[in-house]
Formats: sequence, structure tokens, C-alpha cells
Amino acid sequence: MANTEPPPVLIAEGIGHATRYFLREVGGVFWFIVNTFEETFERIQHGRVPFRAVSFFRHTERAGVDSVPLVGLVSFFLGLTMALLTGYQLQRFGTERLIPGLVAIAFTRELGPLLTGIMLAARIGAAFTAELGTMQVSEEVEAIEAMGIGPLRFLVAPRMLALFLLMPCLSTVSNMAAVLASSLVCKAYFSIAFPYFLDLVKDSLLIRDIITGILKSFLFGLLIAAIACYRGLTVKGGAAGVGTSTTSSVVTAITAVIGFDTLYNVVYTTFYPT
Amino acid sequence: MVELRDVHMQFEEKKVLDGVSLKVEPQERLVIMGQSGSGKSTILRLILGTLRPDSGSIFFKRFEITRLRRRKLQQVRQHIGMVYQYSALLSSRNVRDNVALPLEELTDKSGSEIDRIVDEKLELVGMEDSKELLPEELSGGMRKRVALARALVLEPELILLDEPSAGLDPVIASVIDELIISLSEKSKVTSITATHEMDSAFRIATRMAMLYQGKIIEEAEPEEFKQSKNPVVAQFVSGSTEGPILEGSLDAITKK
Repeated sequence: MANTEPPPVLIAEGIGHATRYFLREVGGVFWFIVNTFEETFERIQHGRVPFRAVSFFRHTERAGVDSVPLVGLVSFFLGLTMALLTGYQLQRFGTERLIPGLVAIAFTRELGPLLTGIMLAARIGAAFTAELGTMQVSEEVEAIEAMGIGPLRFLVAPRMLALFLLMPCLSTVSNMAAVLASSLVCKAYFSIAFPYFLDLVKDSLLIRDIITGILKSFLFGLLIAAIACYRGLTVKGGAAGVGTSTTSSVVTAITAVIGFDTLYNVVYTTFYPT
Repeated sequence: MVELRDVHMQFEEKKVLDGVSLKVEPQERLVIMGQSGSGKSTILRLILGTLRPDSGSIFFKRFEITRLRRRKLQQVRQHIGMVYQYSALLSSRNVRDNVALPLEELTDKSGSEIDRIVDEKLELVGMEDSKELLPEELSGGMRKRVALARALVLEPELILLDEPSAGLDPVIASVIDELIISLSEKSKVTSITATHEMDSAFRIATRMAMLYQGKIIEEAEPEEFKQSKNPVVAQFVSGSTEGPILEGSLDAITKK
């Protein structure tokens, strides 16, 4: 029987191509963020507002206010499930009073920002890519550039700022929904009254956990917006290209959020091991 | 006003411009003719600086477009108006907001002053009654006219038009052509038009250039252009199927 395995040189070549593509994309997003900042601050230096408040608030409403039900509901259900599952295990050792702290810490520090990041990457990242991609293929972006208006500060900066500022707010919504859900489970199944529940949460939650979660959320917001807008403005190939870029944007943003979260945790636990 | 010096441009394997040199004097109405895909629109984009040539230089007044930094290039672009083939109006903004955009973003004019200028430009192109409509509610000709109003709103010295009458009925096409002529005569605007529409080209042009296989093969005033002895130009003007243009295409097809 003939050997169908590819020769090692082809595998190495494939790895080389993939690495080059990855590094090019990372570099592309990095310089995209740098150029957006540069274009925006240049405008501010000239004493002019970089973009209109209306445009910024339109994006905050879409990315933030409109995402509250989704983020709240998903986090509520996850908080509920987490409290239930951990509660039954902890009950066997008589330590069910650890549930409030466990859910609060897990969500504040990790799950809240991560879940919100994933949901926003799918919901808003896709919308940003599709919108900017359509503008790109219909020459609208080029027309903006041709007028002498910087497309990065005009189109990207308000979206980036909206997600950057709204992500921590939505993470907080996620944390609160999960904690509320776990308080209901604690009351219904483990006889932990709400005031006692709150005391347990307050006792176990550290300011450091809250700050970590918020810092992460800011960075996730920036990352999702940058990837989504970058993918949108680099669309090629008409309507099909918009579709491909939108899928790629969601996949890249979710992977980037999870990857960045891991990196953040590794760095964080190296410097603050406890 | 505009000068291209030995400009070369290639997209992947395809050589689009192969040493193009062209000079446009102030208040001239240059029409660049050529087949679809011959590189006419590329020339307009190069002048605007949204594309960079592989080699060669492009000048707008005293500025070398190819060497300008982003900030300076944005300032220079404010003196150039561009009308795209498919209008490129911002689909989320109505007619008024599309035309007002450059004024809102690039000037310190008050709201009432912006409204006055927008009204004036929309009246110029006969679109004053469609201010509140979205681009999707407009016909092709109406979009072109709004795009023209938007291109004129900053009072540019140079206007670039990419296929201004393509896809329009003859009457609307004539209206657009007349607008371009009156702009040049009344407002002293220089224009460069890329088109392959013969009637429109001869109506607008004060000078014509023929782009073929990446090179400018003929440059002349309309009457002279019409009488050209160059077989490519003669075939293009007459629209005949006999001649070097189709032979080239047939060769290319046979090679494939």
C-alpha cells in the first residue's frame, strides 16, 4: 500500500506558513490600534473632537444597553448552575456556606469578563465587521478617505471607545446576575438567607479580584473592537468576502479573548501568587 | 495642476500602468478614455493618493502626492473632489447628511452655515427636494448628482469623476455632463473624467487621452482625437469590431 502521509518538509512548510500568517495578523491588529490612536490624538491636538458624540452614543447603546439582556440572562443561568452543582458537592462536606464566595470570586475575577467577552465578540464583533466590511466593498470607506477624513478616527475610534468603556459595565452586569442567581439557589436549596449570603460574599471577595476583572474587561473590549474593525476594513471580494471576514472576526476575537485571558492569568499569578 | 511622471502600477501579475505620463493644466477638462479595466480609475485613485504607484511621481500643484505623509495628504485631499462610479454615498446617512459630512468633519462652520451650503449645492444639482431621502431610495442618476454635490461642497480646485454617466439614461447623462461643464466655466474647477462613453466624453472634454495596455497612446483636443490616425483610437472612437483592440482580446482568449 502506498504511503499517503505528507513528507516532513511539507509539514514544516505548512507550519511556517501558518506562523507567518499568525504573526502578520497580530502585527496588523497591533498597528491598526496604534494608527487609530495616532489619528485620533492628532485630531485632538488640533483642538477638534475626533468623532461626534452622537456616533459614540449610538455604538454604546448598541454594544452596551442592547447587550444587557443577553449578558444578564446567560450569566444568571450559569450562576444558577454553578451554585447548584458546586453546592451539592460542598454539602457532602458540610461547607455549603462557601458557595457565595466561590461564585462571586469565580465570576468577578474570571467568568464574568470572559463570558461577556465571548458574547460581545459574537454579538457586536460580528456586527462591526459586517457593517465596516459592507462599507469597504461599496467604496464608502474609500470615499471617506478621499474627502480627507481619517477613516480610523471617524469609523473605528468611536466603536473602539464604546466597547472599551462598556465591557467593564457589562462584566459587572454579568457578575451581579450570577451572584443574584446563586443567592436564589442558596436560599432555595441550602437555606442560606440573603443577608447571610451577602455577608459571605463580602467576606470572601477581595478588592484585588474586582480590579483584576475590571482591568481584564477593559482590555477585552479594546481587543474585540480592534479585531472586528480590522477584519471589516480589510475585507476583499464583495459580499462573499464580508461573510468570510465576519466569521473569521468572531472566531479570531473569541480565540484572542480566551488566549489573552490565559496570558493575563499566567502573568498575574506570577506576580501575585496568592 | 496635476502631473503624472512615468507612473508604473501592477496588481499582482497584471501590469495596469506602464510608464504613464500626463499633465493637466488649470481649468482644463481632461477625459481619459480606455476600455473597461484599462486602468482609468486607477489613475484617479493615484492622484487622490488612495493608491500608491509602484514607481513614478504624481504631483498636485506643488505637492508630490506619492511622498506626502498621512496628515498632509488628508489636507491636500480637501482640495480635490471625487465622484465614484457607483457614487459611494454613505448608506446610513440621508442625502443632506451625506453632503454635509465634509463640512461637519473638516470645517468650523456653524450648523446654519452648513445647511445653507448644503442647500446651495443640492440646488445646483437639482436635488433640493430629496434632502431627507436615504441613498437606497434614490435612482442611479440621483445618486450621481448627490455624489457630485458632496464632491463640490468644499469648493475643490480639482474634481475627479469616475464614469460619471455610466448606467444613466441619455437625458440624465447629459444633465451630469452639462453640470461638469458649467462648473468648470463658472467656478474655474479643473476636472479629470475617466469614461468610455463616447458622447459624454466628446461633450465634456477640452482635451482627451487614450489609455491602452498601460500607456497613454494618444493625447489631443476632441476634434483632433476624433480624426486620430492611431488604429486603436480610431477603432475605439468608431466602436468597430475590426481592429487591434479586439485582436488583442482574441489573442488573450486564444492563449488561455
